[in-house]
Amino acid sequence: MKELILTLQKEIIVPVEMDKVLPEVIEKMSLEEIKNIELVQGRKRVKLDDIFDVELNDIEGEPRVVIKNSNQKLKYIGSKMTKGEVIVEGDAGMYVGAEMKGGKIVVNGNADSWAGQNMKGGELLIKGDARDYVGSAYRGDWRGMSGGTIIVEGNAGNEIGEFMRKGVIHIKGDVGIMAGIHQNGGMIIIDGNADVRVGGEMKAGAIIVYGKVEEVLPSFKFEGIVENPIIKLSKKDEGTPVTGTFYKFIGDYVNRKPKGQLYISVDSNPDLI
Amino acid sequence: MEYIIKNGIVYDPLNGINGEKMDICVKDGKIVESVSDKAKVIDASGCVVMPGGVDSHSHVAGAKVNVGRMFRPEDSKMEIFAKKGLRTGTGFSVPSTYKTGYQYCEMGYTTVIEAAMPPLIARHTHEEFLETPQIDKAAMPLFGNNWMVLEYLKEGDIKACAAYVAWMLKATKGFAIKIVNPGGTEAWGWGKNVHSLDDPVPYFDITPREIVRGLAEVNELLGLPHSIHVHPNNLGHPGNWETTLETMKCVEGIKAKPKVGERETVYYNTHCQFHSYGGTSWKDFESKALEIAEYVNKSKHAVIDVGQVTLDETTTMTADGPMEYDLHMTNGLKWANCDVELETGSGVVPFIYSPKGPVYSVQWAIGLELFLYTNTDKVMLTTDHPNAGPFTRYPRVIAWLMSKKYRDEWLYNKVHKWAQQRSHVADADKEYDLYEIAKITRANQAKVLGLSETKGHLGVGAEADIAIYEIDPEEKDGKKIEKAFRYAKYVLKGGEVVVKDGNVVKEMFGDTIYLDVQVGEELMKEVLKDVEEKFRRYYSVNLDNYPVSEEYAHSWRPIKIDATDIN
Ligand SMILES: [Zn+2]
Repeated sequence: MKELILTLQKEIIVPVEMDKVLPEVIEKMSLEEIKNIELVQGRKRVKLDDIFDVELNDIEGEPRVVIKNSNQKLKYIGSKMTKGEVIVEGDAGMYVGAEMKGGKIVVNGNADSWAGQNMKGGELLIKGDARDYVGSAYRGDWRGMSGGTIIVEGNAGNEIGEFMRKGVIHIKGDVGIMAGIHQNGGMIIIDGNADVRVGGEMKAGAIIVYGKVEEVLPSFKFEGIVENPIIKLSKKDEGTPVTGTFYKFIGDYVNRKPKGQLYISVDSNPDLI
Repeated sequence: MEYIIKNGIVYDPLNGINGEKMDICVKDGKIVESVSDKAKVIDASGCVVMPGGVDSHSHVAGAKVNVGRMFRPEDSKMEIFAKKGLRTGTGFSVPSTYKTGYQYCEMGYTTVIEAAMPPLIARHTHEEFLETPQIDKAAMPLFGNNWMVLEYLKEGDIKACAAYVAWMLKATKGFAIKIVNPGGTEAWGWGKNVHSLDDPVPYFDITPREIVRGLAEVNELLGLPHSIHVHPNNLGHPGNWETTLETMKCVEGIKAKPKVGERETVYYNTHCQFHSYGGTSWKDFESKALEIAEYVNKSKHAVIDVGQVTLDETTTMTADGPMEYDLHMTNGLKWANCDVELETGSGVVPFIYSPKGPVYSVQWAIGLELFLYTNTDKVMLTTDHPNAGPFTRYPRVIAWLMSKKYRDEWLYNKVHKWAQQRSHVADADKEYDLYEIAKITRANQAKVLGLSETKGHLGVGAEADIAIYEIDPEEKDGKKIEKAFRYAKYVLKGGEVVVKDGNVVKEMFGDTIYLDVQVGEELMKEVLKDVEEKFRRYYSVNLDNYPVSEEYAHSWRPIKIDATDIN
């Protein structure tokens, strides 16, 4: 199989869209063809080798794209990918892993907003921080993330998992306001603290917060304290075991018959109730 | 510039030309008897030639269309228009203005009527017209929930109401009297609706029957080119077919007296598909299209456009505020709601007509039944764009009508079986020919709008708005029919070639048509006193800032109506 190593030659001002450089695409191409891939840059088009040093190697296993010297001007990295691996050395711009269906993306740096937007499958691992709308729906749409796993090792911004329907988002740091807004399925795990309005307007799915929460919306109903719960997202779901002691809430009761589950660590929030 | 269109097969219903091979001559923007030998030749062999399409009901410009664009970025993403030399655009069901103009033009349409203009926001509508290329346009101001109309009609003062309508048409540069859920949108301002023709409107204590009948009388007293254009009460509700029939009947006996044009009808029922529902709930929901078609066929005074459901994800938008609320409660999707002071209201909700949905499939079938069972002189093709589907689906509707095979492919393979069980669409063997297609896409519209002197036909003196489609008149392959009507071989607008091989090759801006109606001076003076009073007491804008001023069009085309005999 093939490994494509791209090294960004110099700082760019106008962002470049990287959605044409996917593992499943380069797998079938020659070096010459790859160098000539056209990328959208603002209102112009550039060839891949106009801005990158391009190296192609034969490797064992799945096809792989490595982007070195990357920064937030590179948008749509791994967007719509279905297999293989994309490794970003540096930061990734907006929409990394948007609509991805399979394979794995690793960002060894920070990611700009909309990481994993409308993701359908696969794995997106961000080693640094991610900005707003991690795993959200496209702006305006009510049909959000439908599968896959997003892991952010640092902090994340506002409105993560907006309209999420399925899959897992795991933020190891803190999150901003309105995590899981309009959530309709899937699971959001927040190891750190969460700002206000967690789970606002959620209908289904689960949110687990291990850190401190600023508030719980008054439209959530307190169900009691649970220990080491096994969280089931549907009747057929075998359940996901979670360790710890939590306040359990159901909401958001601004909706009719909501099934959203909100678990908040008792240890980190001793005075919540 | 002179052109001669050679060897095309011509379909021109208003002149009785049904598939004759003949040449069409064009000079200085008009169709003429003959041209000099310097005329450029357009070879139309293997093609059919029709007058430019006329859309009598479409939501393409103005405040609620723009709300649709703004609150549906996900719709923008669905379709992107980017062609060299043209303005880019986005949007599948609510396209941006340039995309709207270009795509109508690609389909051979040259005139489009915006179906609902809130008078207070007329300026916004005309601003969007300024940015909508390729087509002539006009907009119909909303009158069916207007306080002054309700008051004059309650008092039985038809003349004063007529003078007010004349003033409003000129002030808003409007084209016809549009009525949406008469009385119901005003009731919505009180959190209510009206549910039958004799249900009184809160506060005003007037009934929908009095509003519709009254405005029909006003329309004929003024002698307007178009009739009243009506969206009756109870749109989209099971069992509403009775309200629809009653509304059609309530204007029986009123005589058509247009001072311009050849209209014979006094009642235009728009998007009739949404008004032909039987049953008492969505569970026993069924088609009453045949009953409606039967009444329309035997009634001289009424015509309908269909509002065909195209089974797409689209955006609903109407001045029928309470209906949009009901829709939002049904599908749970986002909802925009608006009150327009003293005049009207509106709502917007996205909608997904899934082919597998039982109700949607019946709606689809009802539209087709109306086409297949109504006299083709009395029915018009619309999708109530974008309410039942985007206008870019007209070619698909044409294909369903021209090919039973294609229709059945959908009926038996794609849509829910309720379409077979709860309508008569499966029994219809009718297939439209191109003559009938020309009627329901241009000729009927031109006539009923009162624009047939120069639009909707290819006779000498007509505007040289011409569509040339590459299609065999006997074609039954649905996909081929669709393609031929989606992308015209040539389109001429005002005597110039604007589309070639489905691509817009010349950008131009059409006229904005409006009515300039003069009533007796004394009467107008009296009515203006009432108008001034209303502005002083209730409006949040100044009367002087209200009328649409001259700079709001590339070129105005006023239709002058002398009604000074009304005193
Ligand atoms: Zn409409």
